[in-house]
Amino acid sequence: MKRNALVFVALLVAILAMLASGKYLDRARKHGPMKLVGDVQGVPAPDFTLPSLDGRKVTLSDFRGKAVLLNFWATWCPPCKVEMPWFEDLQKQYGQDGLIVLGVAMDDSAPATIAKFASALGVNYPVLLGTDKVSDDYGDVQYLPTTFYIGRDGTIVDKMTGLLDRKDIENAVRKTLNTTYKPASVPVNQADVNVKQAVAAKVNPAKDANR
Amino acid sequence: MRRAGVVFLTLLLLAGLVLAQGFGDKPPVEMAPVGALQVKAGGSKNVSLDFRIGSEYHINSHTPRSPLLIPTVLKLSGPEQVTVADLKYPAGQDLTLPFSPDEKLSVYSGDFTVDAVVKTAANLPAGTYPISGMLRFQACDHSACYPPRSIPVRFQITVVK
Repeated sequence: MKRNALVFVALLVAILAMLASGKYLDRARKHGPMKLVGDVQGVPAPDFTLPSLDGRKVTLSDFRGKAVLLNFWATWCPPCKVEMPWFEDLQKQYGQDGLIVLGVAMDDSAPATIAKFASALGVNYPVLLGTDKVSDDYGDVQYLPTTFYIGRDGTIVDKMTGLLDRKDIENAVRKTLNTTYKPASVPVNQADVNVKQAVAAKVNPAKDANR
Repeated sequence: MRRAGVVFLTLLLLAGLVLAQGFGDKPPVEMAPVGALQVKAGGSKNVSLDFRIGSEYHINSHTPRSPLLIPTVLKLSGPEQVTVADLKYPAGQDLTLPFSPDEKLSVYSGDFTVDAVVKTAANLPAGTYPISGMLRFQACDHSACYPPRSIPVRFQITVVK
């Protein structure tokens, strides 16, 4: 009798858990919440190396110590077009404080078409050519725009989906800039550091101009 | 009594599984079933394919205003000796989104219909023939967009002598 009661409780808990996860999945798939905080907060941002529109390879972990705004977008996404000039402004405004904006184009269009589109919007920050793997690594980015705010230590501070107010975006940028990064105490190869700084300077010339 | 409890729990478990797996997989566009279509061999038949877009979405029309936007396109094919031709898409509705008041989009929302003509060869034996294809579209809601997606389109045509 006692065993039956335990089985009953276990089954009930399992059913409730599945109902709850079903409801959550439904909400997530429909992207009801405009701002997903909590699910990914504090999770290490998956590293990647992607080609940029100007033919370089850009690796996320090269920006450790910087605050990274990682924006997934596409040329067929009208709301994405609204945010991109804001990101450009934020890059100019906060670049000297350590903000790096990276766009990831989830697009089948030719790189030249993507470049023309970004240029028409006044975008000068690096635009990378996204892949399904990177999309999968970031939780199957299906809803555009989606932006990840990655702290200086490489962990995700925030994730925002859909077009938001510029004020919300700037608040997230500030929050991300306020993160700290403590490099490991093991001896670091200075040459390696120099290479990474050189890459960062190439990707963010505005930062150097502000120095 | 105990058996009834077990059955009840099993049903609940299955319902939970269905909800957990299937919830929200509904595509933004669905096709309405097509009624019975009969055509004489060698003849042709007009067919209207009705689609319903989820209330929170819109999709680009067949002729979006920007070449970067992905048009709604229906592609159909049948067996040899059956051709689907003269696809007629509805005109798009103008849509201006609050975040981009200067940009006018050409979209479908709610219900829309694509008309087509099914033509059969004169020597086509009597019988029922499947016609299938895909509707490709790209959906957005009021603040974001989904990648292009295709849904299957299927109906049957019955050829009589």
